[in-house]
Amino acid sequence: MEMPLELKAQHSARRILLHPAKLAVNALMLLFTASCIFPLLWIGYSSLKTQAEFANNILSLPQAPQFGNYLEAIRLTNMLQLSWNSARVTVLSVIGITAIAFVTGYITARIDFRGKKAMLFYYLFGMLVPIHALLVPIYLLFKNLGLADEWYTLIIPYIAFNLSLPIMLVSSYVTGIPREMEEAAAIDGLSFSATMFRIILPMAIPVLTTVAILQFFSCWNEFSFALVLLKDEALRTVPLGMSYFKSQHSTDYPQLMAGMILSMLPVTVIYFAFSSRIIAGVMSGAVKG
Amino acid sequence: MGKALRPKGWVLLAYLLPGLVLYSFVVLIPILAAFRYSFFSWTGGPKKQFIGWENYAEIMRDEVFWRSFLNNVLMTGYGLIGQVGLAFVFALLLMSKLVKWKGLHRTMSYFPSTLAPVIIAFLWMLIYNYNYGMLNSGLKGLGLGSLVQSWLDLTGPIVLLVSIPLSWQNIGFFTLLMLAGLSSINKEVLEVAELDGATGVRKAWYVIIPLAKPTLIVASLLCIANNMRGFEHVYALTGGGPGNASSVMALYAYQSSFLRFRYGYGSALAIAIITLTMLIIWLSTLGLRRRNQEGGVY
Repeated sequence: MEMPLELKAQHSARRILLHPAKLAVNALMLLFTASCIFPLLWIGYSSLKTQAEFANNILSLPQAPQFGNYLEAIRLTNMLQLSWNSARVTVLSVIGITAIAFVTGYITARIDFRGKKAMLFYYLFGMLVPIHALLVPIYLLFKNLGLADEWYTLIIPYIAFNLSLPIMLVSSYVTGIPREMEEAAAIDGLSFSATMFRIILPMAIPVLTTVAILQFFSCWNEFSFALVLLKDEALRTVPLGMSYFKSQHSTDYPQLMAGMILSMLPVTVIYFAFSSRIIAGVMSGAVKG
Repeated sequence: MGKALRPKGWVLLAYLLPGLVLYSFVVLIPILAAFRYSFFSWTGGPKKQFIGWENYAEIMRDEVFWRSFLNNVLMTGYGLIGQVGLAFVFALLLMSKLVKWKGLHRTMSYFPSTLAPVIIAFLWMLIYNYNYGMLNSGLKGLGLGSLVQSWLDLTGPIVLLVSIPLSWQNIGFFTLLMLAGLSSINKEVLEVAELDGATGVRKAWYVIIPLAKPTLIVASLLCIANNMRGFEHVYALTGGGPGNASSVMALYAYQSSFLRFRYGYGSALAIAIITLTMLIIWLSTLGLRRRNQEGGVY
């Protein structure tokens, strides 16, 4: 869209007049963004200080950065074990979520069947239900059935509680794929399953990647179910291990900060590697929701 | 769609069943089980004693529970201002042409949303810390040393102090949600605001508000649902303290069951929490919808 010339001139004139406003707005936004990031930078560089150095001045940069806190934090939290437990539970849950969300989302987008509305409403309910109120009954159920305190225990609630949004995301994405794709496949004699997996699945890779990343964060960060369903120290996930670490070594702050940085490392790396895709995914989910 | 594309009923069922079974096992069955257990006095052993509605009668009298409920409501109020309200303002600013580095703002402000609530709670515990906290050291730096205190030991504003980290973490998410919802608003509306200064802002406001209403409603409902079920931040930041001053419903149910081994009562609490939360969500849907219709008049 081209603006008429005189309008353009007027526009830029006003722009100059509005300079203070522009400055103020930009300053405000930068302040806001800085307040989002600074606390995290603070734990980042403070984790490189000794306890004495930190106590002396909590805001100063480290004089001689040292990684001793990291070694201690890894040893005291048993971070390698925690990370392995978290990675196993998270990866398997994400695979489960993505698979179920793809199949369910595809079917709801393309096929009308009795009870479809009720099913979608049932899944939507999961986004609103206060899941932490269910900690007690879920614990009792798992304990009675002997499902608590196993390596696979957490995968069950992690898949179940993370289905709602992914199903909606996949469903809205598939709605945007032209139906001619399936009609052509039917003419070629492909079955329903073959169409779904061989034609549609490759086309849905972008949305499935978004789903997988977002649910990776959700599972990696989850704390409540781990707290309630796991008693065995060898099965603890990262957030659970961090919680115990904090209550036992709560006075050595730089060391705690080193542990915090380690625990958020995978999420941070993935986030900054895929941030534009993640933000686009969240925004498309928001429109749908 | 042609008949050829439609799978047989049992094929459909086979595809949908795994998800439905898992989901029901973790969402529906525990609710039903909790309802059953809620009529018993049960410490977790093999013996359960049927006591009828006694647990529910106790909930009605339980001051800590209602305190926790009010705290949830209060947190929801703070959330609507600090998360939805502020996010709305930031989204409008981000949409205007005045703001530079939009991508940077979006990327950085959403980052806290990707972190574990436990980590957020630890971070804020450090910020509020008496000796080594950023807040106190900032106050000292500004010459406001008299305000320095042990923040998390304050009973009065503790719910607000717990709500701030929640807002800090979630504001980026709500800003994205607003940006997505507002993208349909004509850019020219915002340009008018920029060109005409204050009067333009007022003019734009009347245009934007009705257009933004559906997005604001969705955001408010999500915010209400999130705050009514808050657990992890509070557990990790204050544990409900000092005393029960910052307790929330889910935390109280957790403590009743796992620290006091009152599983029957904990189950009754679970049912009460679900009922109250759904009631509040339902009421706010009604309220927001009516407001929306009224808004459509002018």
